[in-house]
Amino acid sequence: MLSADAVTKTFGSGAGRVIAVEHVTLQLRAGARLGLVGPSGSGKSTLAQIMALLLAPDDGVVSVDGTRVAVCGVRCDRELRHRVQLVWQSPRMAVDPRLRVGDAIVEPLAASGLLPAGRAERRALIAVWAARVGLTHDLVERFPHEVSEGQLQRACLARALIVNPRYLICDELSSMLDVSTQAALLEVIAAAQDERELGVMLITHDRTLASAWCEQTVDISDLTAGRDLEDVSDTPATARSGALGRQVCSRPQRSMQP
Amino acid sequence: MTALLDVDELSVGFRTRAGTVQALSRASVTVAPGELLLVVGESGSGKTVLAHSLLRLLPRNVDVSGSIRLGGEDVLALKPDALRRMRGRRMALIPQSPASSLNPVRKLGGQLLEAAQARGLTERDARRRLRELLAELGLDLDFISGRYVHQLSGGMQQRIVNAMALVGDPDIVIADEPTSGLDSDLVDTTATQPREISARGASLLVITHDLRLAQRLGGHLALLYASRIVEVGPTAAFFKAPAHPYGRELLRALPEREGKSIPGLSPELTALPDHCAFADRCPDRFDRCTEAVPDLYPAADGVLARCFAHVER
Amino acid sequence: MRVAAGVLGLLVVAALLANVIAPLDDTAVDLDRVLNGPSAAHLMGTDEVGRDLATRVLHGMRVSLTIAVLAALAAVAFGTLVGAVAGTMGGRVDTVVMRFTDVAASQNHLLFGILLVVLFRPALGGAGAVMLAIGLTHWPSLARIVRGELMSVRERPFISASVGGGASRWRLARRHYLPHLMPAVGLAFVLTVPHAIFHESAYSFLGLGLPAHQASLGNILNDGQRSLLAGGWWIALFPGLAILVAAMTIGTLAEYWREHLHPRWRSELEL
Repeated sequence: MLSADAVTKTFGSGAGRVIAVEHVTLQLRAGARLGLVGPSGSGKSTLAQIMALLLAPDDGVVSVDGTRVAVCGVRCDRELRHRVQLVWQSPRMAVDPRLRVGDAIVEPLAASGLLPAGRAERRALIAVWAARVGLTHDLVERFPHEVSEGQLQRACLARALIVNPRYLICDELSSMLDVSTQAALLEVIAAAQDERELGVMLITHDRTLASAWCEQTVDISDLTAGRDLEDVSDTPATARSGALGRQVCSRPQRSMQP
Repeated sequence: MTALLDVDELSVGFRTRAGTVQALSRASVTVAPGELLLVVGESGSGKTVLAHSLLRLLPRNVDVSGSIRLGGEDVLALKPDALRRMRGRRMALIPQSPASSLNPVRKLGGQLLEAAQARGLTERDARRRLRELLAELGLDLDFISGRYVHQLSGGMQQRIVNAMALVGDPDIVIADEPTSGLDSDLVDTTATQPREISARGASLLVITHDLRLAQRLGGHLALLYASRIVEVGPTAAFFKAPAHPYGRELLRALPEREGKSIPGLSPELTALPDHCAFADRCPDRFDRCTEAVPDLYPAADGVLARCFAHVER
Repeated sequence: MRVAAGVLGLLVVAALLANVIAPLDDTAVDLDRVLNGPSAAHLMGTDEVGRDLATRVLHGMRVSLTIAVLAALAAVAFGTLVGAVAGTMGGRVDTVVMRFTDVAASQNHLLFGILLVVLFRPALGGAGAVMLAIGLTHWPSLARIVRGELMSVRERPFISASVGGGASRWRLARRHYLPHLMPAVGLAFVLTVPHAIFHESAYSFLGLGLPAHQASLGNILNDGQRSLLAGGWWIALFPGLAILVAAMTIGTLAEYWREHLHPRWRSELEL
């Protein structure tokens, strides 16, 4: 189980202070499909980064399978980092433009010293993963700017899955993509879930998608202020102001820029 | 009814080192006054290029052929002065992601005023018109004027950009991907605003990949695939019974329907086949499909589809 | 571009082989041939003590280029270091470092440089002092550039993705930050070289740099100034031309290099 316990994150200071995430408690079980909805600016992306061990909360605790995570980011234990993976909304921003698509897919392995040394084996590994996400072999040789958003997002998904994570957080995975690509990505995720009990948190503003694909959907504004996890998937979608109404928006929130 | 906008056999190709990228192939659509037309397709299908072509907002390395007639006048043949007058006053564009089309370091009041004056309004008329427009959109000019873009929510930004497009009272408004970055609740209200509040009953052309939005908006729909229009008809008819296999498969991919993806990938625009572009992914493919490019054939009442399956009828 | 590369290549080769190809000894004083205009025997003429100007210019080119390149390297190295510290550590360190950079940047290049040359000349010799002076006056803009690039790269999701994949700080620096900095740093380096050439010439012209007998383009220009009234126009012209050509070719190459480095920039030019 991946859990966030009373997690709070504030950006900036003084008058420009923005409370992105306030006292949020959330659990993602292995093998589950959890949907997280909420209006833009409500802190979903910030929460995603905190739970993916990339951003340290100001308050509260993140635990992965019972282990309390003490430090985040580069200093965090590599094995823990591998257990939770994140897929971003914009694949173009999430891939180093200098890397070929195939190299981007295996980059986490290279970064962790797990990449096979031989060129042939590397090629084979890339080919396997490319096929798994529906990319043709000529596309992996290209640079990110030479492929479409949809194709690049498939590569990003492969990159996230290649380290065999136990938890996958998708932050607006497909909001910029067409339905068919969205369906393709979800099919890959579903297959990965069947294989290895992957816990998936789907962050989206599309409530129809959440209620169709996820077992359980939560609105982020219901998680704040220490309230317990509620199952609100039956609740009709009403406009919620989220944290936006409570915050003084005098500075842009860095992590929430599209 | 005479068409307000008549696009005939419009083809747009970009010359690049990798060859010519055929972004649009012989597209033909018409928009009647006051009508709502949705241009739907995935990214790279040619829909944004179509929108930009209408205003001639294309880079220099393009090959354009065909015609675009606005109220009888050929847009492609307009001289620079006439073109400038047309843009904003007869045809206006609401670009994608409002926040990035507004100047972040300038107060909004100044930007709105400048936009209005660029469309030929005097300062006094501009203020008056803006006040009216913003009020109809639920915003107060005084509240907005002294603020910067980032101080407002996404919904407000969208409405401001809507106002800028409408201030010149255009005959047709083009909205490019009004869904980007907005929540589904907000999109509904802001996407049709331009048409609803336009005093002159302006036509609205909405470019989008969001099928659900398309269904909610209604009107007519043109579906693009690999630079070609593959289906045209009333939106309601499309969602009930799509005539083109791509349309059918696309609807099947919706999570609330089957959530089944279309196998394979769209063809590269630099290497379009000289037969039906959807053939190799089409479950209903037959021999003729790989022999030639189909024309748009009548498939049902008011519906055209670029598919040989409809030729027999 | 090719022209620029070719010319620069020629200059560099000529400078490097100065000792080999120079037709005559550059200190050979020939009082019979004082202030002769360009001729078959002396392609660029002779100076006021009869030395062959062409030889002096060639040697001077070598000296000037060497000093300029080393000085630019010093500026770039120091600037990158400062910028990197500010960019990666952020917060207070960033503020303090950047204020320090601002102070350094506000100094007038030439005046401050003169001060430095004069101060360090006894310790480091003419050439060394000039290199140091140029280095210490040109690093601030580079520090700003490096800091800016670093701060923007750090925010990008692909850095986070790399971290999520298990990258260490070292790997991030080596595989992501450095390659992203290279275009800016490389460009800055190449653009500093012409500056350095001008500055070195200026210091030498003022008599502060290299000793007068040692040929550097600035020194020759200095001699040329004195000989102008006597009608020796060629003594000022040729070194001046050499400086100009060197600076221009380097600048052209810099543009070309920048376009070539980033794969994405490359394609944006196409479309």
